Amino acid sequence: MENEVLRIEDLSILYKTDLETVYAVNGISFSLKEGETMGLVGETGAGKTTTALGILGLLPERTARVTGGKILFEGEDICGLGDRELQRIRGQKISMIFQDPMTALNPVLTVGEQIGEALYLHNQENLSLKEIDAKVEETLELVGIPRERKSEYPYQFSGGMRQRVVIAIALVCNPKLLIADEPTTALDVTIQAQILSMICNLQRRYGTSVIMITHDLGVVAETCDKVGIMYAGEIVEYGTLADIFTGEHHHPYTDGLFGSIPSLTENSRRLHPIEGLMPDPTDLPAGCKFAPRCTKCMEICKNTQPGVYEEKGHQIRCHLMKQKDENRKRDALARRGKSGSGENVQAPEVKR
Amino acid sequence: MSQNLLEVNHLKKYFKTGAGMLHAVDDVSFAIPRGKTMGVVGESGCGKSTLGRTLIQLYAPTEGEILFQGKNVASLSRKEFNRIRPKMQMIFQDPYSSLNGRMNVFQLIAEPLIVNKICRDKREVEERVAKMMDTVGLASRLAMAYPHELDGGRRQRIGVARALILEPEFVVCDEPVSALDVSIQAQILNLLMDLQEQMGLTYLFITHDLSVVKHISDEIMVMYLGKCVERAPAEEIFANPLHPYTKALLAAIPIPSVESCHKIRELLQGEVTSPVNPKPGCRFAARCPHAAERCTQGDFPLVETTPGHFVACDIGV
Repeated sequence: MENEVLRIEDLSILYKTDLETVYAVNGISFSLKEGETMGLVGETGAGKTTTALGILGLLPERTARVTGGKILFEGEDICGLGDRELQRIRGQKISMIFQDPMTALNPVLTVGEQIGEALYLHNQENLSLKEIDAKVEETLELVGIPRERKSEYPYQFSGGMRQRVVIAIALVCNPKLLIADEPTTALDVTIQAQILSMICNLQRRYGTSVIMITHDLGVVAETCDKVGIMYAGEIVEYGTLADIFTGEHHHPYTDGLFGSIPSLTENSRRLHPIEGLMPDPTDLPAGCKFAPRCTKCMEICKNTQPGVYEEKGHQIRCHLMKQKDENRKRDALARRGKSGSGENVQAPEVKR
Repeated sequence: MSQNLLEVNHLKKYFKTGAGMLHAVDDVSFAIPRGKTMGVVGESGCGKSTLGRTLIQLYAPTEGEILFQGKNVASLSRKEFNRIRPKMQMIFQDPYSSLNGRMNVFQLIAEPLIVNKICRDKREVEERVAKMMDTVGLASRLAMAYPHELDGGRRQRIGVARALILEPEFVVCDEPVSALDVSIQAQILNLLMDLQEQMGLTYLFITHDLSVVKHISDEIMVMYLGKCVERAPAEEIFANPLHPYTKALLAAIPIPSVESCHKIRELLQGEVTSPVNPKPGCRFAARCPHAAERCTQGDFPLVETTPGHFVACDIGV
């Protein structure tokens, strides 16, 4: 497709140390169109941040290895590009908002210098220093910081303000793709709401595509068009926002995630958490990665990796889906046999 | 009142800083009935944790009284206080930094027993630790493990075990789940609620997560810059928030449902102002969309609007 900004195909990343091999990302694929926001949801250690660093080519040099797959950015495979070539893209066409605004900024440079740095390095329009300065001021105002504060240092800003500075740095070159790695996790809810609405507004203005990495399904619901649920380095469910939140079928892990959130609207005395823990990424189970914690685990799940079952773009990686698929076909056949019409083919009802 | 396990009257805790007095907790009063949970919510820096720490005497209060089982803990002698200290315990926020990395799980859980000289011999300590590990869901094979070998959820279970092994009556939970993943968070919340039922515990539950606080609390107190701005039963505060700050907090929560997709919300502008030498009047006035001149003049005391629902603002009244 023409306006596809990013396509990831079967990407696998592992970390290798002398002692062990950590399988962080295991064959994930997704794509992102211009102006779209995709949410990557999962628990700690699901491989969300590794994916993001992989796209940017910022993985630790000595230990991390991309073992397979492609990262196509505007049609070009940027996986395995040299540093010099990556530098051309990084910070200019793809930029990142880091999780912790307290540590993402350099304490000995003023915020103005830090925002200007990206412009200075990627100075394609041959801006003069004065013009860069003007652009810095403009960007600061865009993220809601008075321009007079550009010569202040990070310690003079509060957490929410620092995150605005980090966003200003990421946006100053008008990137095509913005990767936001838990941009609001370290912030209070009222500030979180301000920052999220700001990211959305800026995105609409510039048509930037965003990958929103988070573990908060509420944040996903408010900002994303597409969602990928990650578990142990795999995308176990992938679909539009509506597919994930109101769709008929779900991966058991997605159900578990939703069951773990205390609801604000309903009253329930007990939560339904997922028992157990995420598997050790150095020693992943042979079959479905979620099988040891799954309440619907079957014999086949323990030793065979489930494939991806797709229905109108909504992908689920689970053996149950295969069964449902077969049931549905059988039902349809049976009904056709009875009525002879075969028109009202319906999926069997599945309780969520 | 005898059924109130804890009563707090006009509690103040100020810290001296270079810039002036920092009003961390400023004139807060409430009571928690035995076996109930009081939730405390607010943004960072609003004095939630200071409140919790002052209650169990990790900080000495500047002013006001804390009545625990009818006795003012602040005025007790050290000896008398040591007798009731085991009855008041705390679960700390960060399971990564609140445990001593050089002690194994057994030592960590046994420490309160040994410090308070509760058990007669070693065997009794072992028995009680084993029982407590079972209660909080730690496998007995982990007794000799060190905290760095365990994940956040298990570490927080150690924190819970340490707080509960002295069979306390009152537990301050200071953001016990905010450092954990959602699926683990739900496990710990269930555990805390089960233990409350079994042991008849009374909780003060501090958090910034409103959905968690609604789930676990009987009564909720909303704090802003050291002041309690609204206090009401959990259901009531969500159904009928009166203070503009409570309304703004509730509006700011991202709701995990499709209806909230890309919706435009009324956002609270600005940030929390400094609690050092606060100006008189309502602390929220600077950010309040309904602020009028009178808000910056007089103080607003908590007023009971409907039974059990207190609010420190005259707009809601």
